[in-house]
Amino acid sequence: MSELLHFSEHTLQEVALGFMALVYTIRIIWFLGFKAGGDRQAETGPPSTTPAKGVLYSWANIAMPWAMESTRRQYILYAQFVVFHIGVTAAIALSFIIPYGPGLLENQASVLILQIIIGGAFLVGVVRFVRRVGNRYMRAISSPDDYFSLVLLTVWFFFAFLAVPNQTSGGEWHLLGFFIMTAFFLVYVPFSKISHYLYYPFTRYYLGKTMGHRGVYPVGRA
Amino acid sequence: MSEQTTRSHKAEKVLERMGQKLNRQMVGSLLACVHCGLCTETCHYVLANPGDPTYAPAYKGDLIRKLFKRHFDWTGRVFPWWVKAGSVWTDEELEELKDTVFGKCTNCRRCSLNCPMGVDLATFNRMARGLLVSVGIMPEGVAVVSKDQWEIGNQMGVLKEDYLETLEWMAEELQDELDDPEVDIPIDQTDCEVVYYINPREVKYDPRSISDAAKIFHVAGESWTMPSEGWDMTNFGLFSGDDALGGSVAQRLYEKVSELRGKRLVISECGHGFRSTRCEGPNWARYDVPFVMESSIFTMLRYIKEGRIKVDKTRNSRPVTYHDSCNMGRSCGMFEEPRELLELVCSDFREMHPNRAENYCCTGGGGAMSMSEYTPRRLKSGIIKANQLKETGAEIVVTSCHNCVDGLTDVIRHYELGIEVTQLVNLVANALVIEPKVAIPVEEVVEEMVAEALPLAGRTILVADDEPDQLEYLATVFEDNGATVLRAVDGDEALAMATSEKPDLLTLDLEMPGKNVGEVFQILRENPELESLKVCVITGRPELRKLIYDRSVRRPEGYLDKPVTEEQLLINVRKILELAHDEAAAGAEGTP
Ligand code: SF4
Ligand code: SF4
Repeated sequence: MSELLHFSEHTLQEVALGFMALVYTIRIIWFLGFKAGGDRQAETGPPSTTPAKGVLYSWANIAMPWAMESTRRQYILYAQFVVFHIGVTAAIALSFIIPYGPGLLENQASVLILQIIIGGAFLVGVVRFVRRVGNRYMRAISSPDDYFSLVLLTVWFFFAFLAVPNQTSGGEWHLLGFFIMTAFFLVYVPFSKISHYLYYPFTRYYLGKTMGHRGVYPVGRA
Repeated sequence: MSEQTTRSHKAEKVLERMGQKLNRQMVGSLLACVHCGLCTETCHYVLANPGDPTYAPAYKGDLIRKLFKRHFDWTGRVFPWWVKAGSVWTDEELEELKDTVFGKCTNCRRCSLNCPMGVDLATFNRMARGLLVSVGIMPEGVAVVSKDQWEIGNQMGVLKEDYLETLEWMAEELQDELDDPEVDIPIDQTDCEVVYYINPREVKYDPRSISDAAKIFHVAGESWTMPSEGWDMTNFGLFSGDDALGGSVAQRLYEKVSELRGKRLVISECGHGFRSTRCEGPNWARYDVPFVMESSIFTMLRYIKEGRIKVDKTRNSRPVTYHDSCNMGRSCGMFEEPRELLELVCSDFREMHPNRAENYCCTGGGGAMSMSEYTPRRLKSGIIKANQLKETGAEIVVTSCHNCVDGLTDVIRHYELGIEVTQLVNLVANALVIEPKVAIPVEEVVEEMVAEALPLAGRTILVADDEPDQLEYLATVFEDNGATVLRAVDGDEALAMATSEKPDLLTLDLEMPGKNVGEVFQILRENPELESLKVCVITGRPELRKLIYDRSVRRPEGYLDKPVTEEQLLINVRKILELAHDEAAAGAEGTP
């Protein structure tokens, strides 16, 4: 392993991770600096709806494609979401496995599974990009950050796919590409839409609490 | 737009006040959108305007979000172009924002419940409305209605005497109907179990809902009252985003109930009134309400369950469907109680699809009915509702919201669906089983039937309207009900005919060619020979009301917004003429 690759797998990642953690901490402190709106009203709705149930339902919503009309009707988009985000999780895991647990990749089955997941996510990335560019509604709501983040992730999947076997016999460029991009991500993510997962628990918490208090969550359907 | 160095005073204020309004929930929603587009097809505006992305919820949200990003979020401050952050510099840009937040979104919250990230567009859209209202940028109708609610205390500008007269009139109607002189609509009684609050629309267009509610309270043996002041439970603060107005209106209600030592504030069927009074009001007013607040739906259902009233569902046998009001349903969780009640009072209830939290807006939400400049847009978006209604095969659509009654009526008329719109209170009253006390003599019954069949017999009505369709419509309704009708198509003709023919009633459109309608009205009012002439304004341009109402002469006896249904028209005209008749009789009795 070259010194550059070693640096990319370790020092670069650690510094980038530290930077990301710092920015995220500042971001959360900033966010929590806004006062939380209170609710003086007495509860409405059936007893099966409470703020606590509302919050749990709201958080679990993402795993219940049947719960919302949008995911029920656009199930292909929902499936893409699932594949894409499992791919992200797998690629992040890979960025830790290679430097800290490479033995896991000696098992060919693990390599194959990771490649299938990450390869699938790459394909979804391409499909999503085509949708973002080709669909008039998507174009209208997209920012340069949206396009860039998507392209970046898709290319990252590509390198991750190649990096999974952790082989350097054909050169190190694919591993270098994967780790340098990972580090770039860690630095870029707090400033981009990719940091949405940071806010997700909060937005869904507050929506769930309100909707639970007001008798809407969990949603009952005829 | 290119960077400017000076920002208009209004734009400056909007940004400054945005900072004061932001709370954590709102900031979360402003930060969390990932532009996934999943919400796009959940909005009735998008579905009715295929190919136009400016109606997409995320697009509309971004017009507000960009301000947040540019001024409150570091990413937008450092790289505005990269994240589509932007500022606002001119009043024209604020006007453009107004067009979206008021004219392209009814705050129905359907997209909010369909966003995987939990982005609640309706909440920050309301915030944006409030910011614009705070600098005087709003649709004319919103300004007029807000002013009425601030100054007169109710959003339709109903004067106290009109309100009390209507209650008195309804009490008399009820006494006749039940043949019981003891039946009453009590005003300002203290220590009652129920203090009943209504929507001013009931006074102006639908007094039958007041008498129906009174009938139910009477039969249930309820100890109840209506307040003489602060009786309007609707709250335009919800629509205009003006929390100060919202808080002031809500507080007025709460304090009146406390003053009367009422135990329960019962809210008549109104979606935004219920949400404002029951849910948002305590927050806006920062007031911990010491009594119970409930919708009249709960009250009626309780009466049936407790055996205090008996109902016969076969009296409502026509097929009925139910429209969930967005404010009642998606914002207050009232889904099952109206259905339970419908099953008890109707024999053929059919569900509309989608329903409950997934129902589509009636198109009149968010105060849209008061914004006449957006009517074509609203009606176009109504195709979604129209299709939903048609598919039920129902002859009647029930809704627990006065706003929805108007929105649905408009959609039904526009798409020629021929469906009747009604409320639960009407169906419950119709299904009430009341034991008759005494047999009524046949002659009285015949007299009543004749009076019912031709309620305007012997009256002369001058209809002044320059729209031929409208003129014919009004004239036909009056003629079919026994009136002699005169027609005028401009201001000069209306003035000349009113002066020469001395009709009992003049219905006056506010926008006609010829002499200015305001001046016509003033001349007529100042003519002592026309002292007994009653005037009812019927207009599609509520913002023109000031033509009439800013004059220092006696106000018109009635006011109706177009479109007006036959039933609303008749009820109002009868009320004006019958009250005039009562006054004349009282005057004659008092003459020495
Ligand atoms: S569904 Fe939510 S996250 Fe997706 S575009 Fe709409 S508002 Fe944004
Ligand atoms: S709140 Fe309703 S009208 Fe407004 S964008 Fe969302 S779905 Fe459309």
